[in-house]
Amino acid sequence: MPGDAVQDATGPGDAVRDAAGPGDAVRRGWAFARHRAVLLRRSPGPVLVYPVMAVALTVFVEPLMHLVPEPHPPGPPHPPGLRAAAGMVVFCTLLMTGVVGSALVDERGWHTAERLATTPARPLERLVGGALPLLGVLLCQQAAVLATAALLLPGSPAWAAWPAWPGLVGAGLAWSVCVLGLGSLLGAATARPGQLAAVKDLVALTVAGTGGAIVPPAALPTWVRPVTGWSPASWAVRACLGGPGTGGRELLLVGTGAAAFVLAAAVLPRRGPA
Amino acid sequence: MPFHEGLRVTGVRRSFGSVTALAGFDLQVGPGEIVGLIGPNGAGKSTFDRVVAGILRPDAGEVTVGGVDRLRDPRRARGRCGLAAQDVALYPTATARENLTLFGRVAGLRGGALRRGVERVGTDLLLDAVLDRRVAVLSGGQQRRVHAAVAMLPAPPVLLLDEPTVGADPASRLALLAAVRRRADEGCAVVYTTHYLPEIAALGATLAVAVGGRVVARGPVDELLAAARATDLDGLFEHWAGEPPPEPATAGVPARHPQQVHRAG
Repeated sequence: MPGDAVQDATGPGDAVRDAAGPGDAVRRGWAFARHRAVLLRRSPGPVLVYPVMAVALTVFVEPLMHLVPEPHPPGPPHPPGLRAAAGMVVFCTLLMTGVVGSALVDERGWHTAERLATTPARPLERLVGGALPLLGVLLCQQAAVLATAALLLPGSPAWAAWPAWPGLVGAGLAWSVCVLGLGSLLGAATARPGQLAAVKDLVALTVAGTGGAIVPPAALPTWVRPVTGWSPASWAVRACLGGPGTGGRELLLVGTGAAAFVLAAAVLPRRGPA
Repeated sequence: MPFHEGLRVTGVRRSFGSVTALAGFDLQVGPGEIVGLIGPNGAGKSTFDRVVAGILRPDAGEVTVGGVDRLRDPRRARGRCGLAAQDVALYPTATARENLTLFGRVAGLRGGALRRGVERVGTDLLLDAVLDRRVAVLSGGQQRRVHAAVAMLPAPPVLLLDEPTVGADPASRLALLAAVRRRADEGCAVVYTTHYLPEIAALGATLAVAVGGRVVARGPVDELLAAARATDLDGLFEHWAGEPPPEPATAGVPARHPQQVHRAG
């Protein structure tokens, strides 16, 4: 059958294939990834702002960490600078949910979402493919913030107590997947840019605040402490600091992100224009 | 040689709450045929496009795109229809070429085929000089041509163009009409929505008049005008709007180039 094989666009149906195989899905996902990378390169503002924010907040919050010791540290106590940096990396990465979500909201405003709905691409291919360049961005941001914080806040030889690199990369990867999933869900569920900005701020503050990423868990109000252990931000901070239980938290983070991606893919086709 | 069956839309109904947008819409377009779809605002033309393209699911009726049942096999049907809707759908911060490349890749084109396809639509629609400019800095007419080029790029068996020449200068308009004619000559079934009768004549298209969510008349332009004793679109709409709704559609392969004015269905 002519339409099954050919990839050239010289006549009607020549390019038509029943592009439903896994290879086709991967190719489409990769096309979305490359395109998102182009768009990110054109508007790098938000990607550059959040790491700067994270470093600044780390410097401001570090003295607070001296006043509030870790009550039950996972393993040996961590230096205050490390605790502050881990918390702020988690908080500022959460703010990136806005960048992830706005990619989807913008698509509705540009009507490209509607055009994509007429193609064989599945919503999950769009979401995961589009998130790939952001995964790289998030990992670079986290590495840059931690490295800068280590340079600015040397103070203690205990900085050498950073978790092993593979563990740190694993924690960053797991947290990034979680943030990308949550961002996709926010973008799919909100209708307009203003709505997304408001919901993103609220979600980021709530998740990071209850998870002890902004102020240490020991300094949180007593009524918040019972929910701290349920916040993905708390899993991320603990994963970042390493110690006992590492591995399980990463799995929880990746699972949360994957669930959010699937939910976003289900919501996305039901969304009308912005 | 076209191997597909063009477009068959039979008895399609679609409502939005209490508003009925399509009330038994019938339209068949064979391979190589161009149908000029006209109708007053609210006639259901854009809703028809969105149903055929798979953006909206009809409440009732049958839609077959390039031989594939839109309702039973929506994913396969999606690759068989190119839509340039009324609203320009492009990434403004990406260049025209980057837009074409993304949508071409998503449609299954790659490598040399993709490059040739982009060059071809660029040349056909007089976009060569602006392919590497960001869409945001292009004029409205250029954006609309890029928008149409995206729909034409994968050479789909069915092409839906909704007022593609809005904002186009005379040269661009001629280029676009020629490109549409060329796609039809290659076997594409084209539904061309417009408010300009001269464009339909220039395309050698037959006319389908939509009123109240139905196609109420179908035939050559001059014969429909004569039958309605009209000289322009307003006269046509006025004539057909006053007629009782047509009988329910019957299935059947449409005439390639209908020579007689007939009531739809």
